[in-house]
Amino acid sequence: MTDKKHGITRRGAMQMLGASALLAPNLLGKPAFAQTPPEAPAGRIIVGMSQESTVFNPLMVKIEVDDSVHFSLFDALFRVTPEGEIVPNLATEVPTQDNGGISADGLNWTIKLRDDVKWHDGEPFTAEDVKFTLELILNPDFRSWRTIGHNLLSDIEVVSPTEITWKMAKPFAPYLNFLTETFIVPKHAFDGVEDPNAAPFNSAPIGTGAFKWGSRTAGDNVTVVANPGYHGDGPYVEELVFKYIPDLTVLYTQFKSGDIDLTGRQYITPDNYAEAQTLSDREIVLVPVSSVESIYLNQEKPQFKDPVVRKALYHAVDKASIIDALYYGLPLPSETFMPQASYYYNAELPEHVFDLDAANKMLDDAGWAKGGDGIREKDGVRLSFANSTTSGNHLREQTQQFLQQTFKEIGVEMTIENLPAAVIWGEFWGQSQFDSVIVGINFLIGADPDVTNRFHSDAIAAQGGRGSNNSQYSNPRVDELLIEGAETFDAERRREIYREVQAIIREDLPFLPLFQNRSVVGWKEGIEGVEFNANTRTESWHAAAWYWAQ
Amino acid sequence: MPAFLLNRLWQSLVLLVIVSIIGFTVLNLIPGGPLAQFALDPGMTQDDLDRLARQMGLDRPLPVQYLDWAGKMLVGDWGNSFRDGAPVLDVIGRHIFATFLLMGSSTALSIAIGTWIGIRGATHRYSGFDYTATIGAMIALSIPTFWFGLVGIYIFSLKLGWLPAGNMYTIGDGSVLNYLHHLILPSIVLSLVNVAIWSRYMRSATLDVINQDFVKTARAKGLTERRVLMKHVVGNALLPMITLAGMQLPGILGGALVTETVFTWPGMGRLFLDSLGYSDYPVIMGLLMFSAILVILGNLLADIVVALVDPRIRLG
Amino acid sequence: MTTAAVPSAKPYRWWHSRAVRRFCRHKLALTGMAMITLLTLACIIGPHVLPYDMLYIDLRARFSPPMTGDHYLGTDPLGRDIAARLLNAGRISLLVGFSAMLLSTLMGALVGVIAGYRGGLVGAALMRFTDAFLAFPSIFLVLALAALLKPTPEMITIIIALTHWMEVARIVEAEVRSLREREFVQAGRMLGLSSSHIMFREVLPNAMGPIIVAASLTVARAILLEAYVSFLGYGIQPPLPSWGNMLNGAQQYLAQAPWLAIVPGVTITIAVTSFNFIGDGLRDALDVRSDHM
Repeated sequence: MTDKKHGITRRGAMQMLGASALLAPNLLGKPAFAQTPPEAPAGRIIVGMSQESTVFNPLMVKIEVDDSVHFSLFDALFRVTPEGEIVPNLATEVPTQDNGGISADGLNWTIKLRDDVKWHDGEPFTAEDVKFTLELILNPDFRSWRTIGHNLLSDIEVVSPTEITWKMAKPFAPYLNFLTETFIVPKHAFDGVEDPNAAPFNSAPIGTGAFKWGSRTAGDNVTVVANPGYHGDGPYVEELVFKYIPDLTVLYTQFKSGDIDLTGRQYITPDNYAEAQTLSDREIVLVPVSSVESIYLNQEKPQFKDPVVRKALYHAVDKASIIDALYYGLPLPSETFMPQASYYYNAELPEHVFDLDAANKMLDDAGWAKGGDGIREKDGVRLSFANSTTSGNHLREQTQQFLQQTFKEIGVEMTIENLPAAVIWGEFWGQSQFDSVIVGINFLIGADPDVTNRFHSDAIAAQGGRGSNNSQYSNPRVDELLIEGAETFDAERRREIYREVQAIIREDLPFLPLFQNRSVVGWKEGIEGVEFNANTRTESWHAAAWYWAQ
Repeated sequence: MPAFLLNRLWQSLVLLVIVSIIGFTVLNLIPGGPLAQFALDPGMTQDDLDRLARQMGLDRPLPVQYLDWAGKMLVGDWGNSFRDGAPVLDVIGRHIFATFLLMGSSTALSIAIGTWIGIRGATHRYSGFDYTATIGAMIALSIPTFWFGLVGIYIFSLKLGWLPAGNMYTIGDGSVLNYLHHLILPSIVLSLVNVAIWSRYMRSATLDVINQDFVKTARAKGLTERRVLMKHVVGNALLPMITLAGMQLPGILGGALVTETVFTWPGMGRLFLDSLGYSDYPVIMGLLMFSAILVILGNLLADIVVALVDPRIRLG
Repeated sequence: MTTAAVPSAKPYRWWHSRAVRRFCRHKLALTGMAMITLLTLACIIGPHVLPYDMLYIDLRARFSPPMTGDHYLGTDPLGRDIAARLLNAGRISLLVGFSAMLLSTLMGALVGVIAGYRGGLVGAALMRFTDAFLAFPSIFLVLALAALLKPTPEMITIIIALTHWMEVARIVEAEVRSLREREFVQAGRMLGLSSSHIMFREVLPNAMGPIIVAASLTVARAILLEAYVSFLGYGIQPPLPSWGNMLNGAQQYLAQAPWLAIVPGVTITIAVTSFNFIGDGLRDALDVRSDHM
């Protein structure tokens, strides 16, 4: 999840500080004297998660909760901070065109590595491991997660144990952010392994991270233990347990009863926020996440071709009621795909207004006349469409039924056709077979603002494209900007580009933006060092810093 | 007997093949699939999804996929879970304990209570107790299990705070007491239906035995009613119940599914539901075959017991 | 009781009057009948009488407890009237229950009659097929089919029927097999009646007793199953209410709004109990021995 980019400006950073200042009141409850981490790792922290972490090779296809374990066991070349800045991790510096790490044409990259890092089994970490990792991702037989960015690489060369270079097929600025999520795996763990999909490593991972692999009780928990030889600061707890609790109500109950110390993904449900705040000895904070909830409209459906219809529908969305009543006032209303804390966020977009009269008038003026059944029609197209989302998502189902009512008042019929998760996000979504879908999407990778994959007209899978432009959105100007943005390394220039992209998309409305969600996260008082990072997909992105106050 | 067994074995194999074909077809007809869960990942492209489908062999024609699966199955390879890469039998094995623990305790509970109610109902036929038990059993069979679980959670966890609302144990506390504490509510909920069934069967089985000659003889010999009951009636009435137990074995997967969901019990029912959510075909197929085998074994067991008990029935 | 000794090609429906009398003496069955009748009437008339529409959303009134103003049974998370939803849901749930029963009984009877009457290879094949369906945990088939087909009330009905015809098929097959050799069937053959005529006009009515009993229990089971499936989120989709999907989500609000769970749950229990009572009465009245209760 995500946002920002390297080379952040001071103003951008200040903006971010502003965002975190909003959280500050929650943090003031702490004792005034400064806490310091213990000398040696001590204690155990149990993180409750509502999905089970099962993939331990960090390069293989995986889900969010797997990231929690990966961030603890492994390191990437870089780390992205909560402010969206990229800092070195296994590398010694972040390559830029200024420091020569990236050539002026953006094609040749040189990365310098630390020489003091050891794998959990004692072997030294070298450039060979980085090369192996990048090559493994591109191995056609290996079930890698995503290959975008990596597939531009060629001529990966180990210059020395602490230096590696590669060429890229085209300048691709977002790659730096991709590398913050590309965990390096040890080459020697794959020696003599024929099928990397079935390597012993995959169930007994060896990393360089702050924690070492402990044990796994499938269907229940994954335990990692402190790595005393960690090259960075920490860890300060002896043991970290990722506990799988497949139900959010139970997750919350167990947090209340003290069985778990920190609530992980999917966190505390909004309806429990008010009560959670009254719990004694618990810290409860609202953490903005990068995913943006919206109503995707399939641009190729005749009902949605007319921009007036999309605008009228947006006017008929009673966003405030949805947020305040159904979501307990937690989410932040949004007008764009960009998370609001991002350096690239465009705060000047026109604000949504709930106005049924305006919506009705727009449709009347555009010639959409009401038929006998009260549903509008024009040129043989009836303003009736289906809305789908994952069945069993109660809040979204409530939102749908609420929308149904307000849409009806502007002569639009919306039916509900929900599908199980494994069905809806298959070809129904991928090949744009839907009319409209309520979906929460994290549009960014790390903190990078590049959204070519979601909005470029070459990315429409239903039209033979290779990306995930599922609303089949097409705008030549946006295409142009997206291409330029991906090739531009200058942060100021990129900010202009992506602000314009947001403005055009707000005008075109390929999706009706609803809100940027905020998660309710809680932990026991006494746990220090917890910091959230919307640029990652997990609350445990830096568990190395967690400790129990003495 | 061997001929009978051989014949049954052959029939069972045919049955398994039919079950697997139906299961495999239905499963693969469902649109979407195991890769759907990655579709919303940041940076995930259709290219990547297609590549993964190819690597997992999901792009092959259905009959080819089925034959591949069935061929491996024949040599004992149940395949690997899409979700965590582990062999299917391992995955099932990890969840079997939780389910057997729950089923075991609830079966023990229902046998104990059901037997008592059944015998008492039979010996006190048409009494107030008998009527209450009859009506009670019928209501018990009519309550949606999951709803009964919800009510139990509301009263005993949320209002009274006596029992945990879910899970098999508290992390960091693997004591037997802790397991028992977590076991109480789901066991009771799951027992509801079984007590009803057992008590009804026990009642009619006892009634069948109670008037037979050997019982009358025992009574005539001056044995106390209690001894007659314990020694002759219960012993004989329990025999057919073994059949019933055999028949109930297959219910494990379906029966516990909803209860496991409500109580987030990490058993096979829960595994099944999760696997369905992920379209983890190998695990779903594995669970299907597993439960089909249980059904067949259960029926076979029942037939054999019946044959042993009643020599008039010829096997074969 | 007139001249009963005349042999007839028609099955004698001797159980008719006696069965009805016996059924009427069965207090539980009568109670069940009364409850179902009341419930059905309430579902038919209720929605016209109640002050709220089942779809009317009022966010200000969300989570009103029972007896708040005109919300006799309280409101749901969208502030809709639960009483109105419950009775409308009843229409759907009862209809699904009944239709699933009819459909599955029909399927079962068809398979059973053909298998039992034909016997031989066709019969064996049909019965193996039946066994295969019985070897599935029915919840698997239902969930898989619900993911495959759009879960409208019609589809849920078909899905439930598709997974519940086997018992009737078995009962009928056994019954038909034993009837096949009886005199009146033999007589029919000798009279040169076609086999489909014999099967459906002569044999089937004689197997009616067990079929009726199984059918009444199937209604109960169908209502329960709809509830299970909808509870798991695979069932009838909102905004259409069913007793099952009214419970979907109730767990989440259990502490805050327990009536969301209690109201539909009690209703389901009452309905299912009534059908089970009726089934029990029918079994006694029709003198059917069954392995199930």
